[in-house]
Amino acid sequence: MSTQVSQVKADQSLPAGFQDLEVFVSAWALASERERNRQRLSSSMEEIQALYDALLPRMDEIFNYLNQLPLNDMPADAKRLLNLSLSLAEVAPAVEFYKQPEVVDGFPAERFVPVEVPHMTPSEE
Amino acid sequence: MAAATNEDRWTLNYKELGTGPVPTEPYLAKEYFEREREKIFKHTWLNVGRVEEIPEPGDYFVKEIAICNASILIVRGKDGQIRGFHNVCRHRATKLVWDEQGCRAKFSCNYHGWTYSQEGRLIGVPEEDMFFDLDRNEYGLIPVATDVWEGFIFINLEPKPKETLKEYLGELVDLLGGYPFGELPVCFQFNADLKCNWKVIVDSQQEGYHAKMLHRRSLPGFLTNKENPSRHALDIQVYRRHRMISYFGNLERTPTPTEALAHRFGASVTKREFSMESMPPGVNPTRSNKWAFDEYVLFPNFHVLVFFGMCITHNVWPIDVDRAIWEARVYLPRTENAAQCFSREYGRCMLRDAWLEDGSTLEASQVGLASGVIDHFVLQDQELLLRHSYKVLEDYVNA
Repeated sequence: MSTQVSQVKADQSLPAGFQDLEVFVSAWALASERERNRQRLSSSMEEIQALYDALLPRMDEIFNYLNQLPLNDMPADAKRLLNLSLSLAEVAPAVEFYKQPEVVDGFPAERFVPVEVPHMTPSEE
Repeated sequence: MAAATNEDRWTLNYKELGTGPVPTEPYLAKEYFEREREKIFKHTWLNVGRVEEIPEPGDYFVKEIAICNASILIVRGKDGQIRGFHNVCRHRATKLVWDEQGCRAKFSCNYHGWTYSQEGRLIGVPEEDMFFDLDRNEYGLIPVATDVWEGFIFINLEPKPKETLKEYLGELVDLLGGYPFGELPVCFQFNADLKCNWKVIVDSQQEGYHAKMLHRRSLPGFLTNKENPSRHALDIQVYRRHRMISYFGNLERTPTPTEALAHRFGASVTKREFSMESMPPGVNPTRSNKWAFDEYVLFPNFHVLVFFGMCITHNVWPIDVDRAIWEARVYLPRTENAAQCFSREYGRCMLRDAWLEDGSTLEASQVGLASGVIDHFVLQDQELLLRHSYKVLEDYVNA
């Protein structure tokens, strides 16, 4: 049981200096645009705003750290931090444009389907 | 603010287009759709993809041209050349390739095993000696006219096209030739299957009039400012079939906090990346320092939007008179580090959301059209390209 708990914690760890952001990992450190978008659309504006407020002032620090690492071969905790930071790009329109999770009067996101273009769309593993 | 004078009106430069109403019948009539099928889509050059999608011999993708009941196999041969074929086995007319993309040394039909090379030659027939005088040379895959311009792959379903691709593109060859499309090898695509006529989608992306209202949240103040409150275009040009708008961009506006971050880290919708000196004459044709992007609308169904450091395309595929597929793509530079990934992600998300704003109007327009109470559109000056669109359409369907 205790092993299981520490395993879950390890899966949510962020690199040293960013541990205060670990509370957002399980909800927002998601690998793909679709997952991040679904998370945005199923979150409250309070949750979205909390993420936005926590990430925005840390972005320079985050990328000063991440930019030193090889993009395609990052340790798991760094990759988690990158995926988390990409959620700021996802929620920014909700906070800065729409003041609500969904696009105001928008077409349903689930009907606007991402299509992988061979050799051109980066994999989101 | 002074009222616009006649000198400010683009439309008046094109007397043949007039200033009158444009009929809505082409968006509703089944009979008109049939003429579009027969007179347009079976005869014009159609963009189906980019060369980067099939970099190696044997790489292929399949494009369904539903309006023409055509399934097209685009494949790169051993010689490096890109060819198009009807995706149909010569034996019993079975659809040959069933998946959408991949890489194969050869193409075997699932039904009886007839096998074709990457160059379309018939290279294998099980129990060949049981046929009667079968000449393999006569039963290669049926070729489709295929050509490449600036990395964009086009096909033409006419067995012997009356014009080459370059002749069809006309003025655009010189205007856009040399734009660094190849330096934008990263692509994100979104597809929407919409209950609307294909031209409703084309029209939604060929005027800037809607931006100030529909995109007031996602692009606040980007395409207008105090000195340019309603004249979104720096230039509008119509050619024989194709057309373009060069959009004004309010680059002095204050970016949002996240947008500012994205700017610092890399290319985006609202930031300049390539140098202007290296651009072909059709990119920012007025060489304005308040330029946002140029939108080229290629007849019938392909839009190319060129920015500094990114490119957008729209392909619109008619399915029925009131149904069409919208394929929106954004092309971006390769990312070297995590910060550039963030910048790219910001661009993808804000564009996607702006397109969701566009998306809602499309089916809403068809609902209104279907009511039958509107028999014509009234178009303002900024909607000149819709006027031209209608004229070219009429010329084709009545030819």
